Amino acid sequence: MKDFTNEIIDITQLPKFEEIEFSSLHPNYWKVKLLNIAVFFTILGIATGILFNLNDEFFPFIGEFSILYIILLVIVVFFSRISFKKKGFAFRNHDVLFRHGIIATKTLVIPYNRVQHVALHEGLFSRIFGLAKVEIYTAGGSSSDIHIPGIAKEQAENIKQLLMGKIQKQL
Amino acid sequence: MSQDFNKPQRQSIVGILVMFAYSFQGYAKAFWPLLVIWLFKFNEINKIYFFGGILAFFAVIGIFSYLRYLNFTFYIDQENDEFIITEGIFNKTKTTIQLHKIQQVNINQSLIQRLVGVYELAVDTAGSNKKEADIKAISHDLALNLKAHLLLNERKNAIDKNGIDLSIAILDEIKTEEETPFIKISFLSLLKIGVTSNYLKSFLIILAFFISLFDHIKQFTGRDILHDEKIENYVDKSQILTVSLLLFIVFFMIVIAVNLVKTIFKYFDYKIARQKGSLLLSYGLLNTKSTILKPEKVQITSVTQNFFQKKMNVLGLKISQATGGRNEDHKLAIEIPGCNDFEKDEILKLIFQTIPEKGVMLKPNFRKLGFALFLSIGLPLIAYYFFRNLVIDQFPMMDYFVLLFVVFTGIIQFFLFKNNRLYIHDNFIILQSGAWDITNKIIKPSKIQAITTSQLFWHKNINIGSLTLHTAGGNISFQLGNFTAIKQYINLWLYRIETSDSNWM
Repeated sequence: MKDFTNEIIDITQLPKFEEIEFSSLHPNYWKVKLLNIAVFFTILGIATGILFNLNDEFFPFIGEFSILYIILLVIVVFFSRISFKKKGFAFRNHDVLFRHGIIATKTLVIPYNRVQHVALHEGLFSRIFGLAKVEIYTAGGSSSDIHIPGIAKEQAENIKQLLMGKIQKQL
Repeated sequence: MSQDFNKPQRQSIVGILVMFAYSFQGYAKAFWPLLVIWLFKFNEINKIYFFGGILAFFAVIGIFSYLRYLNFTFYIDQENDEFIITEGIFNKTKTTIQLHKIQQVNINQSLIQRLVGVYELAVDTAGSNKKEADIKAISHDLALNLKAHLLLNERKNAIDKNGIDLSIAILDEIKTEEETPFIKISFLSLLKIGVTSNYLKSFLIILAFFISLFDHIKQFTGRDILHDEKIENYVDKSQILTVSLLLFIVFFMIVIAVNLVKTIFKYFDYKIARQKGSLLLSYGLLNTKSTILKPEKVQITSVTQNFFQKKMNVLGLKISQATGGRNEDHKLAIEIPGCNDFEKDEILKLIFQTIPEKGVMLKPNFRKLGFALFLSIGLPLIAYYFFRNLVIDQFPMMDYFVLLFVVFTGIIQFFLFKNNRLYIHDNFIILQSGAWDITNKIIKPSKIQAITTSQLFWHKNINIGSLTLHTAGGNISFQLGNFTAIKQYINLWLYRIETSDSNWM
């Protein structure tokens, strides 16, 4: 009982989650994104091309369709860039933070003692660039899971080990 | 009386009746549209075929019930400490439950079972949410005895440490351990809650019912009742307002009646008993359901009450528990309808040890109301502006309807905004929401799994933002509050969660 103290917590002195520095994603992840977009738009282009060949009625509008296609491409690339720039993560002593969002900035915080399990995921293009995605799951359903993409494979492994260590300690 | 459960045995012979009733209920549910159509065409069809068909129908159900009775056996395998149930007519199912996994054995009686004087025994195990084993018809003595034998194992383990064998004493103890309910929800409370809640839900169900009914009739008779000219002839054009008002009232009465019947069927004889620190709930008129509620597993507790219910001193409680599975959150919400204030406090005390208090109040910014009004009134009005010319000739009254819609939606949005509050107390976070039915969702900060904040970039300067608290039983969201205050509380909650090993489940 002697060691027991119960002082008032000064709320203003608590560590502030809103003031920490977020690490940005690996620059190569932007290339992965671009590759994904390229694949998608190639398929879209081929599909419309086939449609034009099959149906003559669309033919006079080929100019408009091309412009639409390019505008769409520019918009997607633009927003992907913003999304890439906005994504950031941080590991504190007791929790992990992930920031994302294009129009709204969302910050998700998961304390380590609420993490259920951790997984690594490597996409096809990500693997080429030596990147991986760290997936952190809680019991709060899919909206409270953190998926941090674009982390160098080695670093991702380290993060996973770190988290596993933290979880083990809790048990 | 000591019975031997080592040999496979059947249920009570009257169990056939119970099975018959349950099967009949199931088939009646599946075939009701056919029956309705038969009634409509009653004069056109051959009476002999009709009654013959019904007789055959009953006979088939009867035979199946008998076969099901014959093939249903249960026994306790003493060697392996297992409880074994075999069932099924064509597809045989053998359920094996290890005795040490049994958590709960419930003895219940639904209306049908009460009529024939038998009881139902259900076995709950760890690791699954549904009833593992369900014996539909056994006598009360047998049920108590079986329950005692099933639970004997667990108790024996607990006592083995003392090195004394007390099997017989324990058997008696379990048998006499009748769960005495400490809360019983009266029929009157059910009536009150049935009349005053779920209008919208029942309205939609009835609408769906009528649409499917008309659809069936149309398919069979080839006549479209809704657009039948005869109906229009009945009604004089000048009386159209009175008739529509009358129709509205009749419809409203149907909604209330359906609501009432549904509530009573579902929640009849609602009993809450305390057992080893958890709550045992059982309810239902035809099928008795029973669930266990473990206070430490409770994630979100919602208390819902509207104006009428406040005047009549009833309210609805909804409790969501943590689940192992990820997709089962919604199914596991337990509803306790029609408690009064005293009973609510008792239940809350059992869950939280104290009665939750409302602490510091956070209000949403007025922009929330503005945005809601824009979405629910502004956008539809813009759409109406463009389509007005198309419909105004056919429905000259359209403008009035639109006005009515604007006023109605406006009032609802205003109350939604006015009632939206977040109360933050050291031990409780309470979110209040709703326009008519006002819901208070209560969580403990230690149940938080993760926290999300969200802020639109044009809200940065005026310092407002949104907060979502994720728990294992669902999320709690509060939009457009003072962002500085929200962030401060998040830091506090994170500090609390991270410095303690509080158990959230």
